[in-house]
Amino acid sequence: MGLVCLIHSNLLLAQEQHTVSGYLKDASNGEALIGATIRIQGQSLGTISNVYGFYSITLPKDKYVFDFRYVGYDPQLKAVELSQNMRIDLELSPAEQQLQAVVISGKAEDDHVSNIEMSTEELDIKSIQKMPAFAGEVDIIKSIQLLPGVTTVGEGASGFNVRGGGVGQNLVLLDEAPVYQSSHMLGFFSVFNPDAVKDVKLYKGGVPAKYGGRLSSILDIRMKEGNSKEYDISGGIGTVFSRLAVEGPIKKDKASFIVAARRSYADVIAKTFTDALDDGSSLYFYDLTAKTNYNINENNRIYLSGYWGRDVLEFAENQGFDWGNRTASFRWNHLYSEKLFSNLTMFYSNYDYGFKFGDKDDLFEIGSEVSTVNIKPEFSWFVNTNNEVTFGGEAILYLFEPGTMVDVSAGERTTAGLEDRRALESAVYVSNDQKLTPSLSVQYGLRLSYFNYLGGTVVVYGDTLPGSPKPVVDEYKYRKWASIADYLNLAPRFSFNYKLSQTASIKGSYNRMNQYIHLISNTVATTPIDVWQPSTNNIKPQAADQVAIGYFQNLANNQYELSAETYYKWMYNQVDYIDGADVFVNKYLESQLLSGKGRAYGVELYGKKNKGKLTGWLSYTLGWTERKVDGINYGGDQLNRKGSWYPTRFDQRHNIKMAAFYELNDRITFSANFAYISGTPTTFPTDRITVGGYVIPYINNNERNNYRIPDYHRLDVGMTLNNVWRGKKGRSGEDNIAISVYNAYARQNPFSIYFSQERGRPSMDNPVATNATQLSIIGTFIPAISYNFKF
Amino acid sequence: MKYAYLISGLLLLAACEFEIQPELAEPEELMVVDAFLNDRADRQVINITRSQPYFDDSEPEMISGLNVTLYDLTVDLEYPFTEGDRYYYLDTNDPVGVVGHNYRLVVESPSETFEAHATMNRVPSIDSIGYEFNEANFLVDQDHFTAQFYAVDPKGVGDCYWIKGWKNGVYFNKPEELNMAYDASVSPGQPIDGQLFVFPVRAGFINPYGDDSDPESTEMVPPYEVGDSLYVEIHSIDRAAFDFLYALYFQINRAGGFGEIFSSPLSNVSTNIKSTNPGSKTNVAGFFNMSAISSAGRRLTAKVADQAQIKYYNQ
Repeated sequence: MGLVCLIHSNLLLAQEQHTVSGYLKDASNGEALIGATIRIQGQSLGTISNVYGFYSITLPKDKYVFDFRYVGYDPQLKAVELSQNMRIDLELSPAEQQLQAVVISGKAEDDHVSNIEMSTEELDIKSIQKMPAFAGEVDIIKSIQLLPGVTTVGEGASGFNVRGGGVGQNLVLLDEAPVYQSSHMLGFFSVFNPDAVKDVKLYKGGVPAKYGGRLSSILDIRMKEGNSKEYDISGGIGTVFSRLAVEGPIKKDKASFIVAARRSYADVIAKTFTDALDDGSSLYFYDLTAKTNYNINENNRIYLSGYWGRDVLEFAENQGFDWGNRTASFRWNHLYSEKLFSNLTMFYSNYDYGFKFGDKDDLFEIGSEVSTVNIKPEFSWFVNTNNEVTFGGEAILYLFEPGTMVDVSAGERTTAGLEDRRALESAVYVSNDQKLTPSLSVQYGLRLSYFNYLGGTVVVYGDTLPGSPKPVVDEYKYRKWASIADYLNLAPRFSFNYKLSQTASIKGSYNRMNQYIHLISNTVATTPIDVWQPSTNNIKPQAADQVAIGYFQNLANNQYELSAETYYKWMYNQVDYIDGADVFVNKYLESQLLSGKGRAYGVELYGKKNKGKLTGWLSYTLGWTERKVDGINYGGDQLNRKGSWYPTRFDQRHNIKMAAFYELNDRITFSANFAYISGTPTTFPTDRITVGGYVIPYINNNERNNYRIPDYHRLDVGMTLNNVWRGKKGRSGEDNIAISVYNAYARQNPFSIYFSQERGRPSMDNPVATNATQLSIIGTFIPAISYNFKF
Repeated sequence: MKYAYLISGLLLLAACEFEIQPELAEPEELMVVDAFLNDRADRQVINITRSQPYFDDSEPEMISGLNVTLYDLTVDLEYPFTEGDRYYYLDTNDPVGVVGHNYRLVVESPSETFEAHATMNRVPSIDSIGYEFNEANFLVDQDHFTAQFYAVDPKGVGDCYWIKGWKNGVYFNKPEELNMAYDASVSPGQPIDGQLFVFPVRAGFINPYGDDSDPESTEMVPPYEVGDSLYVEIHSIDRAAFDFLYALYFQINRAGGFGEIFSSPLSNVSTNIKSTNPGSKTNVAGFFNMSAISSAGRRLTAKVADQAQIKYYNQ
């Protein structure tokens, strides 16, 4: 109601108003410009273009000079005599490369201070491409791990952790469709092909009402639309992948497409040297990203995009495992009026993995799958200069196939499986971005979400001592689509930006997040075999409240950006596991789960240099993240097993990240990354007990994560050499050679410390020796070279 | 989850490891009862020891001076165990274990009494042991033989087994060779009942690819060569013992290398040994179980090898 009143009063105050709206594009390739600024000269008014390049601004009847800007592009001025609604679609041209104007963000120069968003990180693909990468392969997930507040438990771990949240608490969106598993090759590479990506944005806090469904972060990845002016072929040959992308107009300025593919080729090369891979084994991964769009008319545009990726690790014909994502999304942008922009998204997303264990005649296969169908309308109503209302909804239908099994014994085949699970998640939201005064803007919104766990077998568990498997007390059937359990949640969101001056602001935010599906992972790192599970009558939805406040300052004509943010996050109904839990394809999975609370808090300091020969950023995060779960870390309290707070695996106290780029001349750029992260917590035993000849570690007092492994630090360096062959002697196009060294000073960073009995067969006569072993996934420096081209 | 181990053991990706000697917290040095008894008319042994500091690899010290008694609750019989030099034992000419009977083990120390319960469950017989011929493959770079045993889980949900194997009389006692079955499959969450054990149970843990003479070697060797023999025992266990062994498997199997990403956090395994005083704060570890055993053995003779080869090429 308050919202309506505010808008209404604004309308009453206004004189005759007209709207200027349109799309902003890149003149060289027709790509929409996300976050370009539209300013009115001589006034503090302005707006920015949305993710589809659309903008709309409503002003009193008058004469204005519009200033359209996008950093790295030539600005355009447009004198406008505003006496009626106007449509201005504009194309901005990339600025001629100037040494002094190397930028690492495409946004407005003072966006850092003036934008209401906080706890948000953006990376454009150009800076991602310049970073020295692991094995020379440009990688989006690895790049965002260099941002403040973002961590990982180590090389080989899939995904990332944001402000003390778990990997499964991140919503990773590729053109609006969620990607359930973001890693290739067990975490070494992410599934996003950089040749097809345009823009990457990470929300760590202050999450707008239009996003929901995960507690910790939203990683919003936008794919390129495809060059609508001319054909482009780009690609590269690296140490791990080779890549090829083709884009171009289907109909000039009307429709375009992009198809980008990658495949690893270690197996292709190996096959020429060894015949070990000839007997049906295959070790490879690939992904294919495709997108097309059609500009039907001024008011309608449709997009169709898809992703297919798969990893195959088969050691013999019937031995190994494989996994992959598939997504398809359809979007329709429609302008109901110059003030009302809408986008309708429909998508399908699927993730599955399978294990095969067998030989020629005998085989056992086990697999799991999750699929989602979603419809998501969203609307932006550019009410007036001071208010922009966003509203919409979402309905997600989940189908979980927790386990299918095939057993072949001497050619005889039997199948078995766990029952499918279905769930429906729906949400509606409304949010308003409002400028209260020239220096104070606020964003406030509400997201109402409703979750239904749908029919099938209902399992009821009884109470037991926390930390023991819960006993099944009843099992009965519901009709297929009947609601077994439902949850309704209201999530308020609020942010403000108070500008202290042209170059400084204070921002604050509060958000509540709800999460209805859970990534079940009880291993040292998340892996491709971790499964998603819905909330049920036994698993409650997770929730989190986060407050953050920060100071933002730009210096030297926006050349430097500085910020300091502090956050506190309370997390409820966190999923944890009983000791020795069996979470892999388990009909009674919920008997193995525990529920507890979490808290994460910390400070993030960030400094960035945007211009000059040397650009880059430096950040420091001081953070804590802890859990309290009955049945874990309960000390000597065997009778009640009340848990005490313990640090999570991704509680990394100090976290220093640096990324630097030095442009020597227009041919050579040097780059370097540095990361320093406190050692991750782990559990050390105290005793060894011997049962059945096995030596079993035992922890006095049932402590969890009572030690830390040594600190992690790593320096990567790289050099990009432009125009090696193309761009010379009149050859068109561009190319480069990227040389990088990952882990330049060859530190053996610990991934884990584990305790085990001595390798080999224990002798029956002598006691078994016990060892502690420190493991580094990468034990040396990794040099790489890749050749990238575009023509 | 055991599949991840079966497979990830094969992931020979470069990782780097070295042994360390971290300082550990004070050990608890608690009592450990290792009482896996069976239906054989042999000496029944119960080890009762004290846990040791984790890096202490001496023989665990036996706790002496205890009264150890096994009760058959179904027929009301009592079997007092004798204290030996290294363990407590019972020599008997008639098996103490009978399928379907309930048992109670009592361990009395001067200050406190501990007890545990177990039921002896049915066990299927082993129909046969088979050897298969394989051509050189990614695992072993020469023609080789592998083995599996054939047994059918009886109909009815909830049968639990511990399957033990011996190659040429040497017990498969490596942590990664610990083989359990729940009905015909590997865990209660994957219900497959009343059929031939699934392939991973039949073959996954009795084919030693590692070279026992050189534990550091990553070279895979043929699991069986002509002249080798395999002997397999199926021990019925109760559900609590299954859960204990299942959790134990993940605690003692530290794959190392890249497989480490699949490891679970270190935690204490369960126990069914409890103080009879409900308010007691004394911790005890270990397990009591009663097993019925079935067994079978077979040697890979030249004739068996020839038949396996002929079978392979005729398919």
